[in-house]
Amino acid sequence: MPAIITTKDEDLLDALIDPRQQIDYQQDARAFVRIDTSLRVYWHTLFDTCPSLLELSGPEGLSIFHPFMSWAADHHLRMDWTLYLQLYAWLTRSEFRHRLNDRHAQQLVAAAAARWATSDRGSSAGVAITRQGRADLLVGWKCRRIDQGREIEVIALDTPLPPPDGLFGYFFIPDFELAHFPGWQHPDLPGMHP
Amino acid sequence: MEIGINFTLGETLNDVQRLIQDGLVDYCELLIDNFLHVPPDDIARAFDVPLGFHIMLSRFLETDLASLKQLAHRLKPYIDTLQPTYISDHVARFSHQGRQLYHLAEVDYRQAYHAIKVRVEIWQELTGSQLLLENFPSILDGGRDAPEFFARLQADTGAGVLFDFSNAICARQNCELPLAAWDAVIRGNRHFHVGSYSPSILAPPITLDTHDAELSSDTLEFLYQHQEHLQDDGVTLTYERDDNPGYDVLARDLTRLRQHLTSQPD
Repeated sequence: MPAIITTKDEDLLDALIDPRQQIDYQQDARAFVRIDTSLRVYWHTLFDTCPSLLELSGPEGLSIFHPFMSWAADHHLRMDWTLYLQLYAWLTRSEFRHRLNDRHAQQLVAAAAARWATSDRGSSAGVAITRQGRADLLVGWKCRRIDQGREIEVIALDTPLPPPDGLFGYFFIPDFELAHFPGWQHPDLPGMHP
Repeated sequence: MEIGINFTLGETLNDVQRLIQDGLVDYCELLIDNFLHVPPDDIARAFDVPLGFHIMLSRFLETDLASLKQLAHRLKPYIDTLQPTYISDHVARFSHQGRQLYHLAEVDYRQAYHAIKVRVEIWQELTGSQLLLENFPSILDGGRDAPEFFARLQADTGAGVLFDFSNAICARQNCELPLAAWDAVIRGNRHFHVGSYSPSILAPPITLDTHDAELSSDTLEFLYQHQEHLQDDGVTLTYERDDNPGYDVLARDLTRLRQHLTSQPD
């Protein structure tokens, strides 16, 4: 099949998110490098934030990155802050499942909370996330002081909350006080049913 | 001319305040949507210089109108209290078919013109302000349509251009868009950006807008070509740096920038 020739970003939007499509482009062309640049940002967003994943995959991370990104494309994942939770869910059914540990899980949950805190533009001040089997909450707070950034903290609960129906549960916190439990929301985890 | 610096993260406040105290910057450009839970009065107390607003994640071309209205409502007290010199945003694709693009994509300027025009008008109406829109660091040839697009959009909507000199260098290196193609846009606007760029890892190298190094000589030369306009009263030039290099590095590059733009022609 001849390589795709393109002259606009608009022509290669699918390929910017799906590593399987990069081979359709001529390797010595700007479009190929442009796609590579886009994919590298996803790579860094995952592995710079959760370096413990590289213990599973090896230093290049590709044995996780390529199949996970392909799965994400197949399931049309939104690539929002829940991506890290979706990655954990994917890992639990991958060849890496027997080597997954609590540290990997907590790093991914913390990454999800941090990404929400820096990217969400809604009015909520925080997000609380729990993982099935844990009694605590990992909370991400948006920036509330001009001399600070977002904050992540683990909060132990005096009275345990009901467990989420799925692997993860989360709820948004309207202000900077964890005073009310509104019930769990659940991330979209394709193929995993509560 | 006033030279400013971008302020995106609270952790850099001490360095930025020191740059202000030392007279190296005249104003600050806040990435305002990073600070929408910080009381506006606290921001006012932290900066005793004028402020510009840069909006990163309104996604105003794509988001639903209810969310856009809510964001405008939340921006209003910041606009009222801080009276920014300008409010700027981005013309770019933040998502594709509902999936987020982590490395933003350039819009199709010809095909999307009317849809963008409508959204710009809505976003200006909701914020109650003129918007300045930043030119994209083009990679592919579609970027060649950018100067005509921005000039037309400005004429049709009143939205100005936050012209980024180093993004134009990226576009020249990537898609051979001549710097001179921007002459009218530059002359017709008063608020500017400048930063650094870097080559991609793979070849053929493309030039990427990275804001992680000192200004290049060709960027300085491009600025110098427009020295007369940049020296006008009320013109602002924001130095963008995102890698948090510390006071000394920032001070050195800002001093070099000011000296370059205030030097006499040979």
